Amino acid sequence: MSANGGHDATICGWAVDPAAGREGAVEAVVRGGVLERLTWLSGSAADGLGPTGRLILPGLVDMHAHFREPGNEDAETVATGLAAAARGGFTAVALMPNTTPALDDPSVLARVRASAAATGSPVRVLAYGAVTAGRKGETLSAMGELADAGVVGFSDDGASVGSATLMRNALAYAGAFGLPIVDHPEDATQTAGAEASEGYVATVLGLRGWPVAAEAGSVARSIAILADVVRDVPGARLHLTHLSTAASIAHVRAAKAAGLPVTCDVTPHHLAFTDEWVAGSRRWAWEALDAEGRARDPWADGALAAPPFDTSLRVNPPLRPAEDAAACRAALRDGTADAIATDHAPHTAVDKHVEFGWAANGISGIETALSTVLAAVAAGEVPLMRAVALLTSGPAAVLGPRAGLRPGLRLGEPADLVVVDADASWAVSAASLRSKGKNTPLLGRAVPGAVRLVLAGGRVAHAEG
Amino acid sequence: MSAGDRPEGAIPTPAPVRWPHRHLLDVDALTRPEIDLVMRTADEMHDVLARPIPKVPALRGLGVTILFYEASTRTRVSFEVAAKNLSADVVNIAAASSSVSKGESLVDTVRTVEALGADMIVMRHGVSGAPYLAAEVFGGSVLNGGDGWHAHPSQALLDLYTMRSRLPGGSLEGRKVVILGDVLHSRVARSNVWTLTAMGADLWLCGPTTLLRGFDAWAARGAAGRRFTVTSDVGAALRDADVVMALRIQKERMASGLLPSLREYAARYGLTSERLRAARPGALVMHPGPLNEGVEIAADVAVDPRSVITDQVANGVAVRMALLYLMAGARRTEAGA
Repeated sequence: MSANGGHDATICGWAVDPAAGREGAVEAVVRGGVLERLTWLSGSAADGLGPTGRLILPGLVDMHAHFREPGNEDAETVATGLAAAARGGFTAVALMPNTTPALDDPSVLARVRASAAATGSPVRVLAYGAVTAGRKGETLSAMGELADAGVVGFSDDGASVGSATLMRNALAYAGAFGLPIVDHPEDATQTAGAEASEGYVATVLGLRGWPVAAEAGSVARSIAILADVVRDVPGARLHLTHLSTAASIAHVRAAKAAGLPVTCDVTPHHLAFTDEWVAGSRRWAWEALDAEGRARDPWADGALAAPPFDTSLRVNPPLRPAEDAAACRAALRDGTADAIATDHAPHTAVDKHVEFGWAANGISGIETALSTVLAAVAAGEVPLMRAVALLTSGPAAVLGPRAGLRPGLRLGEPADLVVVDADASWAVSAASLRSKGKNTPLLGRAVPGAVRLVLAGGRVAHAEG
Repeated sequence: MSAGDRPEGAIPTPAPVRWPHRHLLDVDALTRPEIDLVMRTADEMHDVLARPIPKVPALRGLGVTILFYEASTRTRVSFEVAAKNLSADVVNIAAASSSVSKGESLVDTVRTVEALGADMIVMRHGVSGAPYLAAEVFGGSVLNGGDGWHAHPSQALLDLYTMRSRLPGGSLEGRKVVILGDVLHSRVARSNVWTLTAMGADLWLCGPTTLLRGFDAWAARGAAGRRFTVTSDVGAALRDADVVMALRIQKERMASGLLPSLREYAARYGLTSERLRAARPGALVMHPGPLNEGVEIAADVAVDPRSVITDQVANGVAVRMALLYLMAGARRTEAGA
């Protein structure tokens, strides 16, 4: 700590800066919290520094997290959520409005901001407003007031905006402010009681099938509405969150090719876990494909290592077969996906330590997101530069200039960066997680990517060792 | 029970194969030798049942709690009779009418049952996978008495036992077995897929396409020799069948839009004596119960000499005695190890 209260550090590592389009060995000098010097090293000075060792990344942006406050502080609070975010390498988070009460007017936003300010955390807290009043899917929320108060978009996440007419109106109305509608695509008429992705694994386990069409159909519908709306309201924007199927991704790819203002994200669990985990497998999604790119059979090849029906795997949308997870990673590589978003969804034991079909949906994932992505990078599934972009500049671009996020290693500005040892693993355990939500299938597992230091706005958000 | 007070052998130990399973939650991992062991042990139990007093002390001092979250007559009573024949102390809990309806969690109920002295729980639950949660928190053994659409191990094993005892040669190898009806919602069908394919049967699943959802995906894997056929062509399915098992059709399938009407189902898929003519002479007719006569099975077929439906009920007790006995043995082995 320097005299003026800011952080001082000299860090050598492999810098990856998507904003500058550059990666390489560096020596970074932070003085008084300001990134004072960034020396790109070569020759013998760069010895021992590489993309599989110590990484220096811009602070990560999570555009989809649930901190449960107000209303469900037993599952998470803004304080514990921010500690978890920092530990995961995130220096900015955008919170979903499905709180109790829902964040559908500025008073709830003020409450969340007050809680965030009281923590003293340097992690930036952004928030979405609900699309509909009370998230009931009936009438529009106080959208204009929420926009004035500074929300970064609107979402009824947890459910889709079911009414096509309301979706049309929401896209048009929010489009006037240039704010996105962040939709959770799900045709609820197809998913009543659904438990696991429809197909082989769900059938064998006797779980109610969750059809691909429930997501892909909703995606196609919203894109069709967007195509109509943008003719009148050029500022209208649609973001589709936590896409999980090849079919949904194909719709977005085609819509982007047609020039529509649509973006999407994929979660770490949908790119790296598969439905066979519900049966007890724990191999990464890329290890679950055969040579022809088809999902392998965990009942036939001895992959079932854990007991089945682990409720930490009950999530909406459900974990999908390995082919869909592969399509998610292809979307990350080819630019169809704009961001990796955690959908951090902490739950209490009361809501999770119950029968599979009755367990709450969601995975506590903000602390393991970077590790999961680094596992995919190490396997050659996503290039490092692209992965970092999807966790930094990608979501910042989706959220747009009103969010004011400028992730990058910028000289002369307050340092906003993550130092992570890609080659060091850490043990995920209930005790090691800062989140109140221990609902992750990675419990008990060692994962790559130990976060050592997180600076947010020049201040220490998280430090280890 | 400690390893020291092993009950004296009223039943000869049938086993060159060890029964390694503390719990019986599914049949997917049972090997053919283990299934054979259950069959041989059930034979022994069958002999016990033929005695004037069909009671042995094998489970004396063991507490068996029958914890049923779904209404059931035949399975619950069958387990109760089986456990009592083995001299276990049996407690029956119809959970729907206990404090579960006041919001008591499964985890808490199981811990309470354990604290009250249960060594084994036989559990029936409407949610797939629920017995795994019980097994996670219970110090004793859990025997799945049927969970959701997922598994019904004792039913599949008693079905197999019944087929073996009635088929000439006593083998399922190459025998055409047809399961006809509401396969989608059936834990009996799912468990029979594992046991019958393990025993080499030529298994066919037949019903309206809406009630076969997902099973094509399963059949397409067919890995490790676990092959079976899925069809909605009832004629092709029944042709030269050795065994036909009809499954119950529930009225709620109409409400959820899976079927037009019971009338149409009976006309197209009902097991009638006319349809049964396509099967081999003497083909076995089975049904896990309860029956809707005139819907999935014609009244005359249910009582036809070829029907072994009452055998299934009687064999259920012997097979469940075998399972309780083997699992108690696994407990002792574990305690002694």
